[in-house]
Amino acid sequence: MATKRVLIIDDEETIQTVVQFGIRLTVGWDVITASSGPTGIDTAKTERPDVILLDVMMPEMDGIATFKVLQANPETEQIPVIFLTAKAQAAERRQFNDLGVSGVITKPFNSLDLPEQIAKILHWPLES
Amino acid sequence: MKILLIEDDEALIATLTRSLSAQHYVVDAVKDGESGWLYGSTFEYDLIILDIMLPKLDGINLCQRFRAEGYTMLILLLTSQDSSTAKVEGLNAGADDYVVKPFDPAELIARIRALLRRGSANPLPILAWGDLLLNPSTCEVTYNNQPLTLTTKEYDLLELLLRHSQQVLCSDEILDRLWSSEEFPAEATVRSHIRRLRHKLAAAGAPSDFISTMHGRGYYLKALDTLPESKLPLRSQSTGSSQTEPATAANPPSTDSNQEVEQAQQQAQYAEFLNHTWLTTKPKCLSQLADLLQMVQALTSAPPLARAKFLSQAEQQQAYQVAHKLIGTLGIFGLKDTVDRARQLETLFSADLAPAQAAQAETLIVSLQQAIQNIDAIPSQPSSKQSPAQSPKSPTNEKSHTASATKVMIVDDDQDWLCTLPKLLNPWGFKVTTLADVQQFWTVLRTVCPDVLVLDVNMPQFNGLELCQMLRDDPHWQRLPVVFVSVFDDAATQNQAFTVGADDYLCKPVRATDLANRILNRLRRMRAWAS
Repeated sequence: MATKRVLIIDDEETIQTVVQFGIRLTVGWDVITASSGPTGIDTAKTERPDVILLDVMMPEMDGIATFKVLQANPETEQIPVIFLTAKAQAAERRQFNDLGVSGVITKPFNSLDLPEQIAKILHWPLES
Repeated sequence: MKILLIEDDEALIATLTRSLSAQHYVVDAVKDGESGWLYGSTFEYDLIILDIMLPKLDGINLCQRFRAEGYTMLILLLTSQDSSTAKVEGLNAGADDYVVKPFDPAELIARIRALLRRGSANPLPILAWGDLLLNPSTCEVTYNNQPLTLTTKEYDLLELLLRHSQQVLCSDEILDRLWSSEEFPAEATVRSHIRRLRHKLAAAGAPSDFISTMHGRGYYLKALDTLPESKLPLRSQSTGSSQTEPATAANPPSTDSNQEVEQAQQQAQYAEFLNHTWLTTKPKCLSQLADLLQMVQALTSAPPLARAKFLSQAEQQQAYQVAHKLIGTLGIFGLKDTVDRARQLETLFSADLAPAQAAQAETLIVSLQQAIQNIDAIPSQPSSKQSPAQSPKSPTNEKSHTASATKVMIVDDDQDWLCTLPKLLNPWGFKVTTLADVQQFWTVLRTVCPDVLVLDVNMPQFNGLELCQMLRDDPHWQRLPVVFVSVFDDAATQNQAFTVGADDYLCKPVRATDLANRILNRLRRMRAWAS
């Protein structure tokens, strides 16, 4: 499949770097990172990634607020967003789904599996 | 694992049977080539140890006969001839490896293990499935870091299931592989062993169906489909499916060796990266926990009059966020145990912390600090589709015992290979020096003083064979172990390599695991000689 561009918005630098490395290693997609909601929104506007991986719990602007801004902006509303969350309760998942996110990936996750999880959520063909 | 030993020396049979049995291998021994053929073609063996000089039918002819008849079990030749011609003849007859008599039984067992790994779905030294780890080198078995005490047969059974983790094994097959031909166990024996094994696994926290039954078919290791940190060893899961099935005729396990090599390489690179990242992450986590501890101790350790009853809202929020972030951070390294503790902390900080809970939080923080402090190396993260190397205990287990300071010098004109190889070998802890410019060979060699030299055959100016010859002519370097790695897979080149003094020869493409094992084996042999 064609190379994809992934934007990770997570305030944890470690998670950014490990996810970036894992995705590049397994499928060679471009991975860009942002450490906060506002920065992520700016990056999304300029870089137009194919998918945004968005941490739910972030200081200042959390994932839900960030997602709402992305959805309200015509430049970014079409970009699929997948939440990264350490919470896996069904109620929260329902809440996220109601918001209109494309999917939820629960932490902890294995970065080597991420491309497969993303592709599955977004119905991207992925060579095995 | 079941081994057929075809050897006419009774003393050697006794010694080898003892050594192999101690390593949990089931051994059948026969004393001549014809009996060897009879046993090898009748029963199922994982490996045959085959002496060359045998009554009735010699080892070379027997090996050729097995291969000609389509038998694919691993064959390791024992030869008293240390000439390269004999070795090449044996390998050409279809043997997978050879050992020259007299040999160190420890080396033979290491070679057997390496061969069995090569033939196994799981090429790495540690066998893992989810939280279950089995180390064939030490026979240690743990589930979620808890040691399991198993009987010999229970251990053998678990190892068999792990080595064939993508297959359903029927009772007959298990009986064939684990009980020698002189025993006549019933199918009920397998059932009772399975039952006891399940019981022990469950006692250590494994799901009751960790070993599952496919009725009418047999037993298999259930795929761990729900945990992101689950450590499923093979890629043959259906892509994108969260539920895996054991391999069946309709869904055969992947046999694409290139893919396996690529996965193993990715695994090693990822492990290296995680370990590198952990160096900076560990102090950060400890620092966050120290702040958290200080906050909680204000509730538990301050003089009663000065002691606050609760954390302020801001403190509680901060504590909650730290715990929450730790779940994500520790989780990305696959540190399940610490993630669980961080999750407990998160729960405690999700509401006002009552005094009793403050003490509980303090204990939890201290235990988490200790757990993190003790993590010096990160378990490699087997993905749900990749081979496992649960942890430093796989390659890095070797590292801690044997390779920590091993200097490996690699001379090759293939720059890509030189760039990749150090990363691939990193999990074994070798200190790797690469050299593409052969003109610099002697300068670099003297500077590095390697423990092992890995040489390409075909290079500009000097070829590897010439270099090896020069080394063997130099009293200072004549004992330096030399391993050739080359694209030439013809017998003539291999013969030439051994003639000029090579210790080993591998054909490209080479798995890092294989090269690392050959290097480690060579070093063990050197040490055995030295002692």
